[in-house]
Amino acid sequence: MSTNRDRNETWRKSGETLRATALGSWRGLIFWLLLVGLLALYPYSGVSSLTLFIGSQIFVLVTLASNWNLIGGMTGYVDFGHAVFFGIGAYVMGIAVTRSPLLISPEWSFWQALPLSGVAAAMFALLIGLPTLRLKGPYFSIAMLGTFVATREVVRVLRPLTGGGVGLNLPPVLNRLGDYYLMLGIMGLVVTMMWWIRRSEFGQSLIAIREDEIGAEMRGINTTLHKIIAFMIAAFFSGLVGGFWAWQNTFIDPDVVFIEARTVEMVMMSMLGGLGTVWGPPLGAVVIYLLQDLVWRNLFGAHLLALGVLLVLLVIFLPEGILGSFGKRSNIARHFTASIAQLLGRLGRGERT
Amino acid sequence: MDQLLQALVSGLLLGGFYAVMVLGFSVIWGVMGVINLAHGEFLMIGAYMAWGLFRLLGLDPFASLLIILPLMFLIGYLLQIVLLNRILERPHLMALLVTFGVSIALANLFKIVFTSDPRNVPVAYNGSWELAGITFPIVKTIIFFVALLIMLGLQLFLQRSRLGKSIRAASQNKNAARIVGVDINRTYAITAGICIAITAGAGAMISPTQAIFPFMGAPFTLKAFTITALGGLGRIPGALLGGMVLGITEIFVSIYVPGIGTNLGVAISLILLVLILVLRPQGILRGLRPIDAEAAL
Repeated sequence: MSTNRDRNETWRKSGETLRATALGSWRGLIFWLLLVGLLALYPYSGVSSLTLFIGSQIFVLVTLASNWNLIGGMTGYVDFGHAVFFGIGAYVMGIAVTRSPLLISPEWSFWQALPLSGVAAAMFALLIGLPTLRLKGPYFSIAMLGTFVATREVVRVLRPLTGGGVGLNLPPVLNRLGDYYLMLGIMGLVVTMMWWIRRSEFGQSLIAIREDEIGAEMRGINTTLHKIIAFMIAAFFSGLVGGFWAWQNTFIDPDVVFIEARTVEMVMMSMLGGLGTVWGPPLGAVVIYLLQDLVWRNLFGAHLLALGVLLVLLVIFLPEGILGSFGKRSNIARHFTASIAQLLGRLGRGERT
Repeated sequence: MDQLLQALVSGLLLGGFYAVMVLGFSVIWGVMGVINLAHGEFLMIGAYMAWGLFRLLGLDPFASLLIILPLMFLIGYLLQIVLLNRILERPHLMALLVTFGVSIALANLFKIVFTSDPRNVPVAYNGSWELAGITFPIVKTIIFFVALLIMLGLQLFLQRSRLGKSIRAASQNKNAARIVGVDINRTYAITAGICIAITAGAGAMISPTQAIFPFMGAPFTLKAFTITALGGLGRIPGALLGGMVLGITEIFVSIYVPGIGTNLGVAISLILLVLILVLRPQGILRGLRPIDAEAAL
């Protein structure tokens, strides 16, 4: 009982602080659209193709983090295997452009394969979600972790289709500018959609499910339907990003695609920014990417070790993330100044007597 | 007929190992309500310790248990004091995230220190006995009996000793235990120490039969979860039963279903897990707590 109340307390607090910050409303959206507009103009300032590549990678991370946040943060179903959808998308892309998917047709082009990778991931989410979304709390997390590990093994074994451990080589097409704009578009769309979902009735129902699933069901929310739709949306865009990533990387095998790090990164970025917030995951994604790039790259390949340690520290010291702690910080500051004033007042009285 | 009997024996031997492997996971979950996602990583550490002792001192993996168990008890005790006791009062999600972080950090730490090359412990007695047409791999048979011994010891400890009773009290009702004078934090730390020591011991015992590498842990965590769902939380007979069911299922599937290697054992335990959780959410022996009370994130 007490944990239940604590949980509600935590979530409610994060919601309140979010409303308190101006970023929670229209101003946030305007700011975001301006940012996307500026990023769209950015290549015209004559940047190198490496910068464009880094840009598209950051957009990939932001999109993945926002997607994870939809199911893990807003709906409260902590998904420890979300990278499986990324992997499915990547493999669908790989198979579609290197083999003939429909036997009679020739290999597909990128633009034909990209929607397919998203749709395949969403279908997989439907298939997996029907049994696993019935599970609650930790049971769901573990089942998704299992799905992830099992899918990797299945991909490794299905050699005729997926190339097994050898992997697939995609046709190399170098178009950094195109990649940049495509990913910018997907990212802009996904984050704007998250903003809309957060305000819509659909999003409020998801939050109701997170707060109290039985209560939400009593109020007439079709919880199963809501959960599955949220899961499929998150999977669709993760699959899309996976397909894009496979195309850009030009090589996939089970170990680079189905890597735990990707799930950990999604969880970390959402946690760091603030679970269940709209602008938290993008913020967290940028911070983590910069940390990785500036600090950990030079650290004898200890990237994942650092991620794991950071996750532990984050949970212990900053459980509500950057945005969630915003309001609390200012509270602490107010409290601090108040007590200083009190102290000064007491000292002043002391001087007088 | 012979093949059937052989499969049954192999399954039972594997199940005995699974039972001792799952104990730590199941007891930590049952007593503290923490799902330890770093379970497999502690098993991996035990296997690496056995490998190191074998390489450096030529110590037999079963003899090295005498060093590994106390050392890992200490590590588990410290882990609980430093990390887990801070987050037990928080929502369950937090404990899940912390142990997830620990598991990632440990696996990658070992990858950096020992590289990801597979290691092995080539013991001299790696053969098998033949008895009435059935082969008994020697190492696995020893594991089976040591596992039974450890389980018996733990059962006696929990049932008879004063400390064991306070651990059970803490798992039944934390506040009441606190009122009658059980030091909860210390009890939890001892529980974690015992559990992690047993887990690492299980890792040391299988080191002769399996390649040792930094990422060997994750499948074990998943299997531990399945077995716990089968047999119930913190119950030693349940762990034994659940381990046997999973072991026999795995062996039978790998023998009788063509085209599936043992690599897919994880997939099998996943399917089993989802089936159990969906069809019988209270566990086979009604061992799981009702999910809604348990799952408060």
